[in-house]
Amino acid sequence: MTAPAIEVQDLRKSYDQVEAVRGVGFTVGAGEIFGFLGPNGAGKTTTIKILCTLLQPTSGTARLAGMDVVSSPSEVRRRIGVIFQDPALDDRLTAEENLQLHAVAYRVPRAERAGRIDEALQFVDLFDRRKDLTRTFSGGMKRRLEIARGLVHRPDILFLDEPTTGLDPQTRARTWEVLRDLRQKYGTTLFLTTHYMDEAENCDRIAVVDHGQIVALDTPAALKRAVGKDLVAARTADPAALGRLLQEKYGLASTPSEGGLTFMVEQGDAFIVKLLTSDRPPLEGISVRRPTLDDVFLSLTGRQIRAEGAESNMARVRAMARRR
Amino acid sequence: MLEVVYALWRRDMIKFLRDRRQLITSVTRPFLWLLAFGFGLRGSVRLPVVGADYVSFLVPGLATMTVLFASMFAAISIVWEREFGFLKELLVAPVPRGAIVAAKILAGSTTAIIETALMLALSPLVGARYSPWGAVASIPVLIVFGMTVNALGIIVAARMRSFEGFGSVVNFVIQPVFFLSGALYPIAGLPHLLRGIVIANPMSYAVDAVRGLCLGHHGFPLALDLAVVVLSAVVLGALATRAFRRMEA
Repeated sequence: MTAPAIEVQDLRKSYDQVEAVRGVGFTVGAGEIFGFLGPNGAGKTTTIKILCTLLQPTSGTARLAGMDVVSSPSEVRRRIGVIFQDPALDDRLTAEENLQLHAVAYRVPRAERAGRIDEALQFVDLFDRRKDLTRTFSGGMKRRLEIARGLVHRPDILFLDEPTTGLDPQTRARTWEVLRDLRQKYGTTLFLTTHYMDEAENCDRIAVVDHGQIVALDTPAALKRAVGKDLVAARTADPAALGRLLQEKYGLASTPSEGGLTFMVEQGDAFIVKLLTSDRPPLEGISVRRPTLDDVFLSLTGRQIRAEGAESNMARVRAMARRR
Repeated sequence: MLEVVYALWRRDMIKFLRDRRQLITSVTRPFLWLLAFGFGLRGSVRLPVVGADYVSFLVPGLATMTVLFASMFAAISIVWEREFGFLKELLVAPVPRGAIVAAKILAGSTTAIIETALMLALSPLVGARYSPWGAVASIPVLIVFGMTVNALGIIVAARMRSFEGFGSVVNFVIQPVFFLSGALYPIAGLPHLLRGIVIANPMSYAVDAVRGLCLGHHGFPLALDLAVVVLSAVVLGALATRAFRRMEA
């Protein structure tokens, strides 16, 4: 039996007074797409930095393909690829030069380099731009080039820290296509962090993290089932009357929304039928939707994930660029 | 391992050669010194070197100065690459930290020597006279000195998070190293205290070696010059590697 791709036990990391990671443990199988989902500051980036040997854990163990990240960093580095939150390209080199340097650093056999670089560039649709300086690339192109770079040395495990933060929806969708192709073609294990709920849906399994701990770990579908309730939105001219009815007859709390109110109920589709066929205030419309991972996070932590990190990060980079 | 060092060195060279403006501005600085100091003071400076006027006397000192400034400021690329992420790509790669430092030091020194060689080649145009073979023989000395200086720059850069921080610390270090090196004046006949400081400054030996090779005038034996230059490169290279290892990405 082969070792799991990633095996983490009771991992902890403290900075001065703050404990950023507080006893995290999980196992990722080979070829799995595994997501770390949580708000900014939950300890996602710290965990990823420990797994890719950039930070030493305060305590606990992390093994990649059976090798310890603290005692065998070089062996671990050879087998992983990392795509960071902020681009880590040399923007005064061309796309091709960036990949060539990477191929040498990862000791890709000389005879295979040119072929692999061309293949990687074609894979992310950047072959035509290979002679251009990467500083002329858009954010999405840079991200794709980084993915291409991650492919050149055929890593067993690819780490992606917030892979689509700051990208427009089309580019995000395209990036995910590339990532799924990658798993299918090479069997690469993907470990990613995100605070986008819809992005987490692409994972086989998700660990929901908050305040440095895993609060839930399962498939997206199972996590949503665990919430158990559907979200119903009703449009009515008399929300007060409908709210009273829901409270008195079914014991359901509701919240006012534009043109009506919303409430959560088990088996929403059956409930709607029941509601429509009973004595009720007039309704203008009604809809039911399955819980999303947003609802999962809300029910697990009592808070909503906010996407604020991306903007402040970009502002920092822009400020640096101006100072240059 | 050697291939990685070469590839990383080549990366810095490609970027250096793409930036023509940097090359031009860095060669104009020593010329400004040569014109202002050399011709400004030529009439009033009495030199112990037979047959050399002040302009020619300054050339070895200003060549060493060019290496000092260029190689030291080349280390700012570490601050730059840490801030903009490329350093992380190198740090997660299966590349020994020592190889990254070696490549940086070699690249910093190479860019500095290109600027210095240009300056040496052009200085006869303003009337400087020195032995051309001596100048050629000085190149390896200046390369090793450039490695020393770049290593010092890396030690500073590994502790700095901002360009301003790096710039102010480096200027604080570079001014006394330059002014107290004998680059602008001969060591013989200095006041006692000043002479002691100049003798303790490793750059003085690099200047002395180059001046000896170019003009035949030595303050120290050439063997001592070379020993100090090589030894400081080894010590600072080791310290730079240590500083780089300890640096948090």
